[in-house]
Amino acid sequence: MPPKKSMLKVIILGDSGVGKTSLMQQFVNKKFFSQYKATIGADFLTKELTLDNRKVVLQIWDTAGQERFQSLGVAFYRGADCCVLMYDVTNHKSFENLETWHDEFLLQANPLDPENFPFTVIGNKIDVEEGKRQVSAQKAQRWCQEKGNFPYFETSAKEATGVDQAFDVTARNALQQDDAEGLDQEYPDGVDFSQYEQEPSGCAC
Amino acid sequence: MSDSVELVWSRSAVYIHPTKNNKDNIAGYLSLVRPPDGEILISWVPESLIKLSKQDYESYVQVDLSLDGEVTQKNQVFVSKPPSMSVGSLARSSHAFSIKLSDLYSMQMREPSLGWWYGSILLFTKQAETLPVLFFHDDESEVEKRRTKTMQKKRDDWGGEFFMEKLENYVDIRPSTLEKGVYLINPSAQDTLAFAPPVTTSNEVSGPNSAKAATWGDLKWNIFEKLAQVTRYSRKASQSMFDRTPAPLRSMLNIPEVEQLGQDFDSARVFLAEWALGIVQDQEDFQRKNININLNTYDSHFDDFSIVAQSIERRNPVTLEEWESFFDENDGRLTVTAEEVKERIFHGGLEPQVRPKAWLFLLNVYPWDTSAVERASIIAEKRNEYYRLKRKWWENIDMQENDSFWKDQKNRIEKDVLRTDRNIPLFEQSETPHPDPDSRLAQSGANPHLEQMRDMLITYNEYNENLGYVQGMSDLLSPLYVVLQDDALAFAAFCGFMERMERNFMRSQEGMRDQLSTLGHLTNFMLPKLYSHLAKADSIHFFFFFRMILVWFKREFEWDDVLRLWEVLWTNYYSSQFHLFIALAILDLNKAYIIERLHYFDEILKFINELSMTLDLDTVLTRAEELFTKFKLALDLVNWQNNQSEDTKSQTEVTEDLRMLLSREIVDQREQARPPGATGG
Repeated sequence: MPPKKSMLKVIILGDSGVGKTSLMQQFVNKKFFSQYKATIGADFLTKELTLDNRKVVLQIWDTAGQERFQSLGVAFYRGADCCVLMYDVTNHKSFENLETWHDEFLLQANPLDPENFPFTVIGNKIDVEEGKRQVSAQKAQRWCQEKGNFPYFETSAKEATGVDQAFDVTARNALQQDDAEGLDQEYPDGVDFSQYEQEPSGCAC
Repeated sequence: MSDSVELVWSRSAVYIHPTKNNKDNIAGYLSLVRPPDGEILISWVPESLIKLSKQDYESYVQVDLSLDGEVTQKNQVFVSKPPSMSVGSLARSSHAFSIKLSDLYSMQMREPSLGWWYGSILLFTKQAETLPVLFFHDDESEVEKRRTKTMQKKRDDWGGEFFMEKLENYVDIRPSTLEKGVYLINPSAQDTLAFAPPVTTSNEVSGPNSAKAATWGDLKWNIFEKLAQVTRYSRKASQSMFDRTPAPLRSMLNIPEVEQLGQDFDSARVFLAEWALGIVQDQEDFQRKNININLNTYDSHFDDFSIVAQSIERRNPVTLEEWESFFDENDGRLTVTAEEVKERIFHGGLEPQVRPKAWLFLLNVYPWDTSAVERASIIAEKRNEYYRLKRKWWENIDMQENDSFWKDQKNRIEKDVLRTDRNIPLFEQSETPHPDPDSRLAQSGANPHLEQMRDMLITYNEYNENLGYVQGMSDLLSPLYVVLQDDALAFAAFCGFMERMERNFMRSQEGMRDQLSTLGHLTNFMLPKLYSHLAKADSIHFFFFFRMILVWFKREFEWDDVLRLWEVLWTNYYSSQFHLFIALAILDLNKAYIIERLHYFDEILKFINELSMTLDLDTVLTRAEELFTKFKLALDLVNWQNNQSEDTKSQTEVTEDLRMLLSREIVDQREQARPPGATGG
C-alpha cells in the first residue's frame, strides 16, 4: 500500500497587520510584498511537504484580523489540525491579544481534546531595528510554556527568516494531531490543488 | 357630411413599430371620434395619411393642442371618417384602423421607461383582431413638452394614461385581477370568467399540487414548468388548443410585435403564464403527448425564458454633455425627473468627468431637486462641518495621548491606509521624505493623499461614535476620494455611502449575517439546483461571499469597473439591495462549473475568491438585471397563485427578506452604542 497522503489544515490567527498573509505567502510562494491588502473574509494556500517520507498537503488558512469578523468564521475553523497564533514583536498589544485568539479558537473550532490541541506561536517582524521591538523573546517563550508548552518561533516574513522551520514543526504537530484524531480524511483523488495556486498580485519587493 | 366624424380627442406622436428597426416607425394620431350614428370609435391614422387633407391635419393638430386634447360642445371639430380596420387595401398597408368602443374587449398598458423604451398600449377586440401596438413617443409630443415646462407633469405620467382617462368617460374600465396593466372594457360576468381561470380548475391546480409542494423547490418548479410550456404553446400550439383560448389572448399570440420585442413579450408572458396556470389541468394529456419535458432538468426550464433577457442591454455611459443637458442652464435645476437620471445611470453608468458631479447626488450629499445656488451653499456647509469635526480631534491632545481606544483606532486606520489601493497613482510611494519621521505613514514618504485618507477615517471614527472605524471602510472611501479629490466632499459622500453600508460593519455582524442569509434564500429560490449542490457541499452559509458583500465587490473587479458598479448600485433603480443580484449573477454564471467540479466548502471558497479580476462587469450586470426581472416575475406569479387559493395552507410562503428585495429604500441597520470597555476590534 502506498503511503497515504494526508491533508492537514492549519489556521493562522492574530491581530490585524501582524503579517499573517505575508507569512503564508513567504512560506508557500517564497515572495514578500509590503502592501498586501487587508484580508477580508478568508483564503487559503496549499503546499505539499514530505515529512519523514510521508507526503502531506498543508492547507494554510489566512483570516481577517479584526475580531468582529471572526464570528462568521466557524465554517473554516472546523477540522483544523493545528493553529498558529501570531503577533508582531513591535506591537505589544498584538502579543497581549494572543490569549484572546487562543480562547476564541478553542471556542469556535471545538476540538475533541482542547487540552492537547497543538498550537504554534510566531513572533513576526524581527527584521526591524532593535529599538522598535516591544516584546522580548523570553517574555513570549514564558507565555508559551505556561499555556501548554507551545513551540515558539521568531520570524521575518520579509526576509524569510525562520519561516520554514516554523511551518515544519507546525506541520509535524498537525500530522500527529491528525493521526491521533483518527479522522484523517484522505484528500480525494482527482482534485488537483495546484490549479488553485496563484501568483500573488503585486511585485516581489 | 356622412363621411365626416366629430373629432372628440386626439393625440399626436403615437407610433406603431412595424419592425424592430426604428426607421420603420410610423408616426400617427390616436383619436376618439364620434360618427353621426353616435357610437364612439378609437382610431389611429398615420400622420402622412392625415396630411393628405390640409383641413383634417389642422383639425387634428388643433384638438391635440387644445386643453387636455378635448374639445368642448361649442366648438366641435369635424374630420374625414378614418378608415376602419377591414376596409380597403389603403388602410391595410397604412396600418390605420378604427374600432367601435363596443368591440373593445380589453387593453394592456405598458408604462414607459424613459430613455429605454416608450410606453405602449395593446388593444384587444372581441373579434380577436390584430391591432398594432401603439407606442407613445411623449418626447415628441407638443402637449407633453408643454406640460413638462409648466411643471404639470408628474413623475409617472405618460400619454397612455391620458388616453385611458379620456376613455373612461365613455366606457367602464376595470383592472384585471390577473395582471397589473391589463384592463377589461365594459366587462360582463362572462368576460371576467373567460379572463380569469375558472374557480374549479384553479382549485384543482393549487389544491393537490400545493399540498405536495410543501417546499419552495416544488412549487417554483410548477410555476416555471408551466412557463416553459407556455413558451412552447405560443409557437407550436395545436389548433385545438388554440380554439379554446380566449379570443383576446389568441390575438395577442398572433401579434408579430409581441414576439419581436423582447420587453413586450416579457409582460405578455406573465399574462400567458397566469392563463396557463388556470388551464393546465385541462391540458395535461396534451402535454404528455406533445411536449417532451424532462422532469429532472429544472434549470434548463428556467433557461427557457431567457428570451426575457433579449431586451436587456447595457448602454453607453452618460457623457458630460448629456449630464449637463439634464439641468436648466439658468438655475441649474433638473429638467427631467431624478428617476429618469437614475434609470440612465443604472443602464449606462457615467463617463469619468461626470462622476465628481453625479456622485454627490447619488450619495445624498445634496438632494436632486436643488438649484445650483442651493447646492453651492450645501457644499459650503459640508466643508465647514468637515473641518469642524476634524479640528475637534486634531486639537484634543489629551485624547490623542491618553485614550487607548482612540490610539488603537488610529493605528488600525494607519495600517489600513498604507495598504489600500496603493497601485492607484494618487496613493503611490513618494520619494520626498515625510516631514515627521516618527509617523507611521513616514514609510510611504510625503504623500498628502495618504494623510487625507487617514484624517477622513479618523474623523469618521469620531463622527460615528457607535460604529467607529472598521476594516474595509478604507476600501469604500478610497474611490470616493480619488474621484472627488477633495477631502471635505469625499467625507460627506462617504457618510452618505455609510448610511447603507453601516450594517456590514456591526460588532455583532448581524447585517452581514442577514445579507448572506438572504443571498441563500435568493439562491434557493432562483437557482435551486445549485443551492442543493451547495447544501451537499456544506456551504449554504454562503461565507464565500463575505468579501464581495462587505466591500461591494471592490476586490473582485478592476478599479474602473468598481466605480461603474457602485454608481449603478447607488441608483437603487430596481432594488436598494441589487448587490445581492450581482452576487447571484456571479453564481449563475459559474453554476455549471461549481456543480460539476466543486464538492467541498474549501474548494468553493477558493474558486469564488479566485474569480477576482476575471469577471466581466457588463456580463455580470446584464445577468443580474435579467435575474431580477425573473425574480420579480416569479414573485408576481406566487402572489397571484396565493390570491387564487383561499386555503392558507396551500399558499406558498415567500420569506420577508426576499420580498424586501423589491424595495428601493435602503435597509437601515445601525450599530448600537459602544459598550464601555469595548475595543474597536
